[in-house]
Amino acid sequence: MKEDIEKLRNIGISAHIDSGKTTLTERILYYTKRIGVIHEVKGKDGVGAKMDSMELEKERGITISSAATHCLWKGHRINIIDTPGHVDFTIEVERALRVLDGAILILCAVGGVQSQSITVDRQMRRYGVPRIAFINKCDRFGANPYRVLNQLRERLGMDPVLLQLPIGLEGDFRGVVDLVKMKALYFQGPHGEDIREEEIPDEMLEEASAYREQLLDAATMYSDELAEAVLEGQETEEMIHRALRMGTLARTLTPVLIGSAYKNVGVQPVLDAVNHYLPSPTEIENTALDLDKDEAEVVLKADPGLPVVALAFKLEVTPYGQLTYMRIYQGSIGKGDELVITRNRKKIRVGRIVRMHADEMEDITRGYAGDIVALFGVECNTGDTFTDGSVNYSMSSMHVPEPVISLTVKAKDNKSQENLAKALGRFSREDPTFRTYVDQETGETIISGMGELHLDVYVERMKREYRADVEIGIPQVSYREAITQRAEFNYTHKKQTGGAGQYGRVAGYMEPAKEGAYEFVDSIKGGVIPTEFIPAVDKGFQSCLVKGPLLGYPVLGIRIVINDGQHHPVDSSELAFRQAAIGAFKQAYMKAKPIVLEPIMRVSVECPSEFQGNVMGSINQRRGIILSSAEDGTFTTIEAEVPLAEMFGYATVLRSLTQGKAEFTMEFAKYSKAPESVVEELKKAKSKSQEGRK
Amino acid sequence: MKNFMKVSPLRLLDMSAEKELGHGNLGVLISRAGVGKTACLVHIAFDRIFSGEALVHVSVEETPDKVASYYNVIFFDLIKALELDREDELRLMIERNRMILSYMKGSFSVDRLRQSLVNLKQNLSFVPQTLIIDGLDFEGAPRQLFEQLKELSAEFGTETWLSALSHRHKTEVNDRGIPYPCHQIDDLFDVIVHLAPSTDGIYLRLLKDRDHPISAGAQVRLDPNTFLVMAE
Repeated sequence: MKEDIEKLRNIGISAHIDSGKTTLTERILYYTKRIGVIHEVKGKDGVGAKMDSMELEKERGITISSAATHCLWKGHRINIIDTPGHVDFTIEVERALRVLDGAILILCAVGGVQSQSITVDRQMRRYGVPRIAFINKCDRFGANPYRVLNQLRERLGMDPVLLQLPIGLEGDFRGVVDLVKMKALYFQGPHGEDIREEEIPDEMLEEASAYREQLLDAATMYSDELAEAVLEGQETEEMIHRALRMGTLARTLTPVLIGSAYKNVGVQPVLDAVNHYLPSPTEIENTALDLDKDEAEVVLKADPGLPVVALAFKLEVTPYGQLTYMRIYQGSIGKGDELVITRNRKKIRVGRIVRMHADEMEDITRGYAGDIVALFGVECNTGDTFTDGSVNYSMSSMHVPEPVISLTVKAKDNKSQENLAKALGRFSREDPTFRTYVDQETGETIISGMGELHLDVYVERMKREYRADVEIGIPQVSYREAITQRAEFNYTHKKQTGGAGQYGRVAGYMEPAKEGAYEFVDSIKGGVIPTEFIPAVDKGFQSCLVKGPLLGYPVLGIRIVINDGQHHPVDSSELAFRQAAIGAFKQAYMKAKPIVLEPIMRVSVECPSEFQGNVMGSINQRRGIILSSAEDGTFTTIEAEVPLAEMFGYATVLRSLTQGKAEFTMEFAKYSKAPESVVEELKKAKSKSQEGRK
Repeated sequence: MKNFMKVSPLRLLDMSAEKELGHGNLGVLISRAGVGKTACLVHIAFDRIFSGEALVHVSVEETPDKVASYYNVIFFDLIKALELDREDELRLMIERNRMILSYMKGSFSVDRLRQSLVNLKQNLSFVPQTLIIDGLDFEGAPRQLFEQLKELSAEFGTETWLSALSHRHKTEVNDRGIPYPCHQIDDLFDVIVHLAPSTDGIYLRLLKDRDHPISAGAQVRLDPNTFLVMAE
């Protein structure tokens, strides 16, 4: 199996929205003969691109779920995860990066390095994913791949190395000069499938030689063999590929290719570059935590002979049942095998195992280390680790951002209520940033997520896929509470109502925690609270964090220290100490001067420079703080922090302020103290809703 | 913040006749590459921000993220060196009183900067008292650009500090003792200071103080790690 693993590539395709990810994937599938016909994203044929398998995606022309597929290219098997470009769906991007070994970063030759490219790049760095870049849309008016190359250097701090030069640009874009082969490549045939290799046009020879020299300069940094060969003028294509590969794997060099996926120019060289420069599973170090050894880190080896370790990174509901996308890190998984879910030690039997090709599948009997497969009928959550039971490993947890927006959903009839419940259960298992709960006071079902579009897509899916007829409320910001100073508590819970009594005293203090998380410190001395009741005290405090006494929002950043207490040999129990902790929390909380926190978003607006003033004004009106403004040519990028509550409907406002020429992205930055005016409004709204219920 | 003010590099100006650069005026900091021009300018920025002034930091070659990270690193060192305990409050002061404007790859022009300052004033009521301009290419820039900057400073009433890169091999010095690359445009600057490393620290020396004579000892010794004034 060793040879196979070395010729395996698990790659993601990531970029800013509308950079042409799905179009590129469609070409890749066509050239690798996975599909026979090319359909455009918003094509007139009404079929839609292959990777956009969900009905909604086809309709909107954007990719929401990352669909997995695989193809064969020159003896290598390439598993591709097509990832969404909108920032609301970055959990999908993060999940994909978690399980992939390499990525293609697509950039628009006109738009260049845009805000979402920066976000995606940050995520790739977080997961240490080596990447190659593809500057797409060179046929468009205003295309300038050289400017994009500079932006890669300046905005993303990369060391980009151009492997190709464009022959013509914009409407005249005809092909590329391959700087490794030193040949001109033209893509002919109805879909660019025939590559014609010719001599470099005379007028480009000088430029090509200069850029090849730059390429060799960069590549020789990684190979003494190449450096010596270059000195003697004896360098070969293979030597250059090997050196570039080393730089790419070290993540200190980024090979850059250019083309136009839509015009079928330059796609096959991207596939060659995937084979040449991106790593096989054996070249990437993946680790897991050994739960039997106090979560000690263990390095996994892509060896089919070792115990199984696999990660479920995506769940999807299909007409045939739940489909679990899985990356096998170690060992192999075959039909009939028994697997154990680390989280709950539940055993499952592998029924059907398939390899995915967008919404079609191909049955296989066994998947091996390094591969991405999908299993049918496995009940699990996203992020679950699977083993064969001989080890108790868990893959390190994925970075999951807190949801920042919520809204109420209400089924219009009984049938819809049933379907809604099914949908909510499915979505929250598929997507960790989608959460749902029932508000105990109002009885309303609340869904929360990462942005308006994120929730919008789920509401649409409830209607279309689950036929749940629902009404939705106005989107609400997810506020939080936090204390600002230390406060003492000393509370005795005592109850004597016949039979066994309840007794427990808890004393100590609460104070703001620096890291924003809940922290419980047991400083009890001399056993005044017996050890067996300490977890109950902890649980009692934790139960109070769900709804803060100030306005009922979850409490963030609190450290609770217990240093005294009392118990009764007969009447003390877990329940009594839990109640004592709840009483203690209520006693101290208001003394600790709680405040309301609101989510602050990091907003990035890109606009032509003449609209800088308008955009600044619009952010200022929204209680935003402008952090910076960067001009690059005729475009300006304004970075700001703005309360989420003020961002509803901003897209429409921005469009009208800038004649539709600006775009913005936002992601959660931090929780900050809400101003008094906002808190007053929230108080009024709360008392109004309480009165309404009476 | 009194502790910082006592050891800020701007203490050099206590040795000048007017004890400050003054609003509407231009100042320049000259030094060779790698000595710490940006760090010194960021200290000047902290001095003004912690005095409650609004400031615009203009970077001609770095992205806003990179500029912000300079501020973060230097602020972190400052907190440690001076054992300051109002970290959150000071951080908020920086966030509220500082604006970063970056001009990448030849985007910088005085007209563009003027337009941004107008936008800040009109849309955010943000009126800077200090302007820091880092990374301007003194070698390639025409005299006219500095004249325009002087006009801009006067128009907005800002105290404007620039950084200028000198080179070891370029030894020209004019008869007023002003070195390359400011030797032919020194009349446009009100204050000129020079930053140079030495075996016992980094020296910040006053080279020009408007038309006032400069005393021989008009210099401060800075700690090379913190850029704070060292006790003599």
